[in-house]
Amino acid sequence: MKSDETLGSDAHLLRSIEETGRGFYVAVGLLLLGVLWGVFAYGTQLTHGLGVTGLNQPVSWGFYVTNFVFFIGISHAGTLISAILRMAQAEWRRPITRMAEVITVMVLFIGAGNIILDLGRPDRALNVLLYGRYQSPLLWDATSISAYLTGSVFYLYLPLIPDIAILRDHSSKYRFLYTVLALGWTGSKRQIRILDRAIAIMAVVVIPVAISVHTVVSFVFSMTLQPGWHSTIFGPYFVVGAIFSGIAALIIFMLIFRRAYGLENYLKYIHFKYLGLLLLTMSFLWFYFTFAEYITAFYGNEPEEMKVFWAKFTGDQAIFFWTMVICNFVIPMTLIGIARLRTITGILVASISVCIGMWLERFIIIVPTLSHPRLPVETGSYLPSMVEWGLMVGCFSLFGLFYLLFTKFFPIISIWEIREGREVGFEEVVERVKSYLPNEEKTPISEGARG
Amino acid sequence: MKAQRPNPRTVRAAQLGLLAVFWVSVIGIISWIVRLIQLSLELHDIPSASIGISLVAIPVFLLLLGLANYVFLGLLWDDSHEAHPSTDDER
Repeated sequence: MKSDETLGSDAHLLRSIEETGRGFYVAVGLLLLGVLWGVFAYGTQLTHGLGVTGLNQPVSWGFYVTNFVFFIGISHAGTLISAILRMAQAEWRRPITRMAEVITVMVLFIGAGNIILDLGRPDRALNVLLYGRYQSPLLWDATSISAYLTGSVFYLYLPLIPDIAILRDHSSKYRFLYTVLALGWTGSKRQIRILDRAIAIMAVVVIPVAISVHTVVSFVFSMTLQPGWHSTIFGPYFVVGAIFSGIAALIIFMLIFRRAYGLENYLKYIHFKYLGLLLLTMSFLWFYFTFAEYITAFYGNEPEEMKVFWAKFTGDQAIFFWTMVICNFVIPMTLIGIARLRTITGILVASISVCIGMWLERFIIIVPTLSHPRLPVETGSYLPSMVEWGLMVGCFSLFGLFYLLFTKFFPIISIWEIREGREVGFEEVVERVKSYLPNEEKTPISEGARG
Repeated sequence: MKAQRPNPRTVRAAQLGLLAVFWVSVIGIISWIVRLIQLSLELHDIPSASIGISLVAIPVFLLLLGLANYVFLGLLWDDSHEAHPSTDDER
């Protein structure tokens, strides 16, 4: 490293790239073990076919599709949250946007990969390319996820450019890579104008694309006439759940890296408090959608719907349903809603609880409906096999591994945005607050109005 | 100790290569969508669905491609050498 003088205290943000501690190797080792289990499980599935899984007729979707919906859901952490906070000019966004954007890109790859796992024979994915039919919501999914992935990679890259230029100028590692990716960034006014404009346009573009992705994921279910799926609110319900789980995943990652890389000075309690309050808001919204979804089915009392309804409320899926309600509503409401419990630990526990709850939500949307199909075929049950457990562990480990490796190449907190906040953020905020308030000279309160 | 500066021509080729990868990806996806429209027309298989979705999807990809060109070419061919105060001290 050149010297810490030019970057000041922000040189700390490059330390994770320059220095590698024992903890990093231990974490990589553990994650690799998980990935290896997944690779072994996939090898078993490829050799013996989907018969080694718990999937059957009529329950032909299980862990893989649950993971697909869950991962695509938490991908909303990044692009959507980052874009909304950027557009709202929320100053507290600066240390968290990069972490959020990285989550999006990493999980989109893994989420889409789960569809390949579910196919059993990966060569069948070629059928989508060669003979896809746009009448199928599955193909809408393929298209919208492609757009979201392309947009998210670009949206992650754009704010990285000035930081890559800092690495090019300061780091002794990966010099060629940084020089190429920095695109000749010198920080000239013209370059700043181009980058600012591109980031602003992308922030506007990715919001509808992100919303469309999870709406279309919900259409895979709601466009069928299956009990429990054929619902008009599934689109917004899925989007709300996606943002909800996305915020929870973001908080967990922020806390892990805050501890691992000593980022306490950047990721402060206030960031967790604000994100925690957003999580609480989403928890209420999620509960409202869940209530609306189930009360409509219950009031309609349609026999096939009620089979699924009672399976979730009192039947074989009740344990998952009520755990979901506790994890997604009771725990966050208690730990974040009560000010005294709203500590960093409390917010972390609530976030872990929401991630578990949202995974269960995806599971109980898929499995109970398939177990009780509308058509007069036998009902079924689903018990995941060790192959599916192995692939699930493998997917989560791969996600962690990708994320960890990213932090070895690029700063996990945007250095230039932090510096911009220090240099121009203060003045901008003061001016903005002034502009919100009435102008004293122009709107004098008359003596009569004062009473 | 600082490593040697990479060859500028190799760097520029790699940067244009990155943009080329973006072009190939986006053109590939658009070609795929167009191919599916063609297939639905050949088979009389509700082409309106394919056309409707492509009317939304293709402009999004073209917009992303346009933005990528704007950023890559705009930054690479920056002839002003006036530095931003925040990064000036690093250079």
